[in-house]
Amino acid sequence: MQPIIELKNVGKTYIGEKTSALHDVSFSIMPGEFVCLIGASGGGKTTLLKLIAGLENPTEGTIRKPDVVAMSFQLGALFPWLSVFENVALGLRGKHMHETDVLRIVDRELRNVNMLGFKDKHPADLSGGQRQRVGIARALAVDPAVLLLDEPFSALDAVMTAELHDDIVRIWRQTKKTIVMVSHVIEEAVSLADRVILVKDGAIDQIFQIDLAYPRREQEAAFMHDVQKIRREFFKK
Amino acid sequence: MHLFHAVQYELMKQHSRHIHNAHHHFALSYPVSFSQRIYTFFLGPLAIVALVYLIAHFFPFGSTSPVGEISLRLIIIAAFETSARIAVAYVLAVLCAIPLAILATSNGTAEAILLPVFDILESIPILALFPVIIMLFINFNFLNGAAIFILFLSMLWNIVFTLVGGLKIIPKDITYVAHIFGIRGFAYLTRVLLPALVPQLVTGSILAVAQGWNLIIVAEVLRTYIPGGTAAQDLFGVGSILVDAAAGAQTTVFIESVLVMVVIIGVFNFFVWQKLLHYAQQFRFE
Repeated sequence: MQPIIELKNVGKTYIGEKTSALHDVSFSIMPGEFVCLIGASGGGKTTLLKLIAGLENPTEGTIRKPDVVAMSFQLGALFPWLSVFENVALGLRGKHMHETDVLRIVDRELRNVNMLGFKDKHPADLSGGQRQRVGIARALAVDPAVLLLDEPFSALDAVMTAELHDDIVRIWRQTKKTIVMVSHVIEEAVSLADRVILVKDGAIDQIFQIDLAYPRREQEAAFMHDVQKIRREFFKK
Repeated sequence: MHLFHAVQYELMKQHSRHIHNAHHHFALSYPVSFSQRIYTFFLGPLAIVALVYLIAHFFPFGSTSPVGEISLRLIIIAAFETSARIAVAYVLAVLCAIPLAILATSNGTAEAILLPVFDILESIPILALFPVIIMLFINFNFLNGAAIFILFLSMLWNIVFTLVGGLKIIPKDITYVAHIFGIRGFAYLTRVLLPALVPQLVTGSILAVAQGWNLIIVAEVLRTYIPGGTAAQDLFGVGSILVDAAAGAQTTVFIESVLVMVVIIGVFNFFVWQKLLHYAQQFRFE
């Protein structure tokens, strides 16, 4: 099987910066994988996600990725003047689809994230977790080959985070989409991903395979073992 | 950015925050009671009218001779003519300000070049240009054009700098969303930039139209700027009536003119700006 995403010797130096944000990054992701990029703030993981999304161009190396890549952002990044329905339909509007198809797809994705009852609301009427769900529905609506999640739980409380964890795992297993998520919480990465890539100082430090069955529980010894293994490398100078 | 605009921007942010908080307060009980809105939006204008009346009563300009006095009906017509002049200038200012603001923030180079240029242009006293502008429009026998142009210039920079502030606070993630979902070019303008600018456009418009009313007396009394000018060269409007009434000691006409002007501004605030401020809240990024 061919990798769906392939990075070869990728580097990124921003204009006016002396040091590179990323250097010599090479890895590949297979179709249907759930990969989590973790690392400390400023380590380069979000830059890496932006490169995969096509929001930035690498200054060195090559990236091979599918045409349709969608992304969900930290705080949802919803358009405040649009209803939930129109926010989810955003990516479909430019495709000259028939309105009944738009309606069907938006309804399906809103149902998928348990937000169908909110489709006439505006973002200001939603909680942080609900906005995040709408952001995910919007990304899924364009049927992307790869779904990118930029710290989707960073602004959520523990209950919302747990609920959204379960939803993301369910959506991933239902749709079999490739998911690349950025996080700085090791437990989060271990509970969701089947591969965790530690990004440190603009480079890939280590890649961890997580072979635990779903649903993963933090109380389990195997879970804590994987967390401790990653934590040692995470904090190693 | 010019210090004035930095201060103006901060004031606007505070103003917006106040409006935002007010919106949240009103969200529980909006619309607020009619009497409360009357109180909020007409108290200031009524206080001005009362003050003018008291000043005119105790310190009259002279005898209130009925000879040559203008009827209230004519003052109302003049006020509408003045309002039309301000409206045309405002529409032109908005039509020019939007592309200028978008152009000035389109990239780093454009911003580095255009914003200082706008700052300089904005700093030039508009009234210093007025005689030149009038002479230019006299050639076309279009003195109304001179007044509209001076009003347009006085409004333009208010709106431009407010919109520039608005464009700069569009969250980066929103531009990323537009990029990822293929919203580019004209679609980006109509589906992202213009809606995102609505709150700043409303705030900038309120400031700009207020500036227009401030300048209306100067803009309508053209004789001052024309060598050998006569009253016949003044434009018919509430601004020129105010000046004539003051010069001709027509206290009643003066008070009626101020009253009509205040009522028009108050009604406009009540039925247009207040509604637009409320409507604009849904376009605001949190």
